[in-house]
Amino acid sequence: MMKTKKFYVMLYIFCVALISGSCVKDVDFDQVEDVVLTPVFEVDFIFSRFDTSQFIDPDLDPSIIIPEVVVNDTLNYDLLGTDFVVDNLDRVELTFEFRNTIQRSFDFDFGFLNSGGQRIGPSFSITAESGNGPGTEPVVTTEIIVLDNATINVLGDANRLVSSIRVQNVNSGLLGVLELRSKGTYFINYEL
Amino acid sequence: MRAVIYLSIFLWGSCVYSQNKETLYDFTDLPQSLMSNPGADIKFKRHLGVPFLSQFHTNVGLRGATLFDVFADDGRSINEKIETTLNKLTSNDYLTLTQQLEVVNFGWKSKKHRDVYFSGGVYQELDLIGYFPKDFAVLAYQGNRDFINQPFRFSNISASGELLMVYHFGYNKKVNKKLTFGARAKLYSSLFHARTARNSGTFTTVETPQGNNIYQHIVSNANVTLRTAGYASLRDIADNTDAQQGKEIVNKLIGRALLGGNLGVGVDIGVTHKINEQLNLTGSVNDLGVIFYTNDVETYRARGNYVFEGFETPIQFSGAESQDFLDELEEAIPLDTLSTSYITMRPLKLNGSLRYSFNQYDDGTCYNCIEGEDPPYLDALGVQVFMQFRPKRPQYAASLFYYKRLSKFLRTKVTYTVDDYSYYNVGFLLSTHIDKINFYISANNLFDYTNLAKANGATVQLGFNIIM
Repeated sequence: MMKTKKFYVMLYIFCVALISGSCVKDVDFDQVEDVVLTPVFEVDFIFSRFDTSQFIDPDLDPSIIIPEVVVNDTLNYDLLGTDFVVDNLDRVELTFEFRNTIQRSFDFDFGFLNSGGQRIGPSFSITAESGNGPGTEPVVTTEIIVLDNATINVLGDANRLVSSIRVQNVNSGLLGVLELRSKGTYFINYEL
Repeated sequence: MRAVIYLSIFLWGSCVYSQNKETLYDFTDLPQSLMSNPGADIKFKRHLGVPFLSQFHTNVGLRGATLFDVFADDGRSINEKIETTLNKLTSNDYLTLTQQLEVVNFGWKSKKHRDVYFSGGVYQELDLIGYFPKDFAVLAYQGNRDFINQPFRFSNISASGELLMVYHFGYNKKVNKKLTFGARAKLYSSLFHARTARNSGTFTTVETPQGNNIYQHIVSNANVTLRTAGYASLRDIADNTDAQQGKEIVNKLIGRALLGGNLGVGVDIGVTHKINEQLNLTGSVNDLGVIFYTNDVETYRARGNYVFEGFETPIQFSGAESQDFLDELEEAIPLDTLSTSYITMRPLKLNGSLRYSFNQYDDGTCYNCIEGEDPPYLDALGVQVFMQFRPKRPQYAASLFYYKRLSKFLRTKVTYTVDDYSYYNVGFLLSTHIDKINFYISANNLFDYTNLAKANGATVQLGFNIIM
């Protein structure tokens, strides 16, 4: 009887020890320091559609040549304006795609303003190649502008985007459409 | 994010896991068997749990992955392991944490009716479940670039959590030699509740070759709701810079624990049917009840549709008004804060078992038996089933068990369980009975016990009772 009791006591101690001795091993929780989130987001940027009739009066005598037409615009743009984005954005690639059937090239410029209306950071310029006239396949111009980390830091205070489109030597006989489509590819690098 | 990861580690570190108490269920040597089946066929005359020590139960479960999958010390980059785990997990995988602490537990056999046993007590419960929000985890971890035209579903967001006190009183009656019936009335006092479920809608980035811009970012039919009760006033206290805020929060929680919270009522019902001398069939329903959330309620709801396709420039050509992305979004999908009362069901649990007892102790000395009772069976084999209702779908478990009464001093039960977490979950329970003093300890997932990092879950229960 004593032997049986001893066995039970030993079994009991063994089981309690098993639970108490349970452990978590072969793992390294310090690795959490190495976790880096690197999502890539694609977000639409700006778009526009110019029909020549929108900036030249069609009733104007075609013999009158206007040396230069400039269309300026300012819009609210806050996607770079949060601390999280500025601190954790590795780079941004802005992809622009122009589709032009107007037989003129266009110069597209843009830059950023801070809340005080001051220009900050660099200005960017793209030339959309001349098209072949209405009814033809549009001529496609694609350009990628990369905003690196240093530029993004400078643009941290940006909350407006200014843009202008410039075209030279136009008359009312000039027909066609210029379309702009663009997107921003945001490369996040977020260390926990 | 960091806090979420540390919390997850902490939960796992606590080494304990689930509402299924397969080792305790129908273990009629212990008064705690009455908590999962108020109709358990118990033999004792009185019991008193040691206050705060009569039952400590914790269960952590992670369906679909283990800590080892992410934190293995194997030389691979943790980011690579997270990505592999992320791809493996689905929106039906979840993390659960259940913890119960008995404050008091007592019971006695009625003097008037010897076949009736009363029991009562108070216990605290914390119950959390969070489904893995796969779509939005992917969006946060990988972005949308590789998921153009694929919807991210808000229905992936589903979680609930509650901290409550339960006051209960039970009645157990041996109706006849074959049938024991029991019921337990419960009064719930909720300290804190939060729940988001049945969300709908999608966010999709759609390629639009013929559209105004390269993509359209579409939030379609979004309907996301988070209900909270007991949160707003704690937040307001926490927002104060007053040095007394910690004390105020504790006082408020104590007040809620003492029936000052959102109240609810419920019932447990159970039966044991003796098919014959050796074959028992049991069944029980736990937490068939509701809680009425009327105090300190805040519900946050966002509903609407929104399409973003970039910023038009120059806008004077289209005649559109100047855009402000955030204003437009807030207008299209407003976030409403409501204080409407609501009701939720408690997570209903069902148990059942079939038990075959054999090897009756009979050496004439009655060393192993209780005075006035038939000699006990020393062995029993059987099957148990368990089901618990959860926000998305029920959780199931099925167990085989072997009960062994080694001596009057030591009784054990071994279980083999198949559940959502694993197909090889072996658990055991040891219960010591030294005179009237009882101590029991139980754990499952024994195969993984030497390294819980590789386990999908673990449960430990232990407690002290005085049983007469």
